[in-house]
Amino acid sequence: MRSLLNFLLRYKTLIIFLILEAVALVMISSSHNYHQSVAYGAARSISGFVAKRIENGHSYFRLRQVNQELIAENLQLRHRIEKLETVQKPGLTSVSDSASGIRYNYLSARVINNSVNKQKNFITLDRGSRHGVTTGMGVASSTGVVGVIVGVSRNYSVAMSLLNTDFKLSASIAQNDYFGSLAWNGRNYRYAQLSEIPHHVAITEGDTIVTSGYSAIFPPGLMVGTLTGDLKKGGDFVTLKVLLSADFKKLTDVYLIGNLTRHEREAVEEEVTNE
Amino acid sequence: MNRTLHYVIYFVVLIVLQLLIFNNIQFSGYVNPYVYVMFILILPMAIPSWILLLLSFMTGFVIDIFSGTMGVHAFATVMAGFARPWVISLNVTAESSEPETSPSSQTSGLRWFFIYAVTVVFIHHLSLFFIEVFSFSNFFHTLLRVLLSTAVTTFFIVLFDIIRPRR
Repeated sequence: MRSLLNFLLRYKTLIIFLILEAVALVMISSSHNYHQSVAYGAARSISGFVAKRIENGHSYFRLRQVNQELIAENLQLRHRIEKLETVQKPGLTSVSDSASGIRYNYLSARVINNSVNKQKNFITLDRGSRHGVTTGMGVASSTGVVGVIVGVSRNYSVAMSLLNTDFKLSASIAQNDYFGSLAWNGRNYRYAQLSEIPHHVAITEGDTIVTSGYSAIFPPGLMVGTLTGDLKKGGDFVTLKVLLSADFKKLTDVYLIGNLTRHEREAVEEEVTNE
Repeated sequence: MNRTLHYVIYFVVLIVLQLLIFNNIQFSGYVNPYVYVMFILILPMAIPSWILLLLSFMTGFVIDIFSGTMGVHAFATVMAGFARPWVISLNVTAESSEPETSPSSQTSGLRWFFIYAVTVVFIHHLSLFFIEVFSFSNFFHTLLRVLLSTAVTTFFIVLFDIIRPRR
């Protein structure tokens, strides 16, 4: 007993060191599903409050550019409306089609904290459960896909950025609809990698990459980026370098995209795979 | 008591500097200075090592909370706090270092302080960046980030040490 006590006293620094490092490691490993932790929710409210005050000041300096982006997007949407109206008018008969109902709802949000320099980047937004945000909603800016919501508190939410090595997105080449998996390798924040594209697919530099709609998070056809000439060959598949269309260093205003039929879709997919 | 207050002010100032300024410094994803480690460096020479460890953990934990990286900074800062007494003992030159004084370039010389700071900062950054990536793939890429960030962090710490007010 005495020698045990002596031992503990002698190595108390080492023991405290090991305990503290163990605590830190447990925190790191449990942070993958951290959005469930209550303690973190409280911390997020405080840091969210501080970050919001700072961002309020920052946002004034970006107004001009944000306006330009909004005008460009409005123009694009107007073109789309025009197209839809001209197609539907001739000889339209009313057929009740449950599939053509509204599938997605949109919510605007402001980025109040963001980073691009870590391996696992997260984005804090000023919308929370009070505004109807739930985990699993997609986040996009007017220029392209940004991330997906992983944590929600009452007034704030945290999105996993596309610039997070854990993030995977199902994306396709707009021209020929071949789809692959888009992920970030943790290096340059302007480029992501599109893998699992079959060897024989003809690829031209500058091709548009859009979301495939195969996951329940994003609607199909949402802009992700453009192909750059760089490609890696290996085996049956090629990996393509994609220039992301959203500039993560100057994100200010984003949209949250909620899929209204998501649960239904996931339920039926699960039902089939379980059998 | 006065002395404790002194360190509390350093703690708050360094955390605020880190969160508001240095967390926003990013050169092409390679350089992320973490100057808050300076708090671990300037604690008194003769601080009991277990208190040093607890303070290290607390410092890292506060940074973790505000940057949403649970445990990563706590881990790295405890590592730095554990290494500090060892770095000091390897590097004994200054007989002038009384137990009560805070390690600084003024009491122990610029050269001594630089070697001391760069070693502790390197240990901190090495564990921080590798824990953050959580793999040894891209080993040299991560190592490059460690080295560049260590250089920038040490530069700022030495600069702050030269201009920091003395009692």
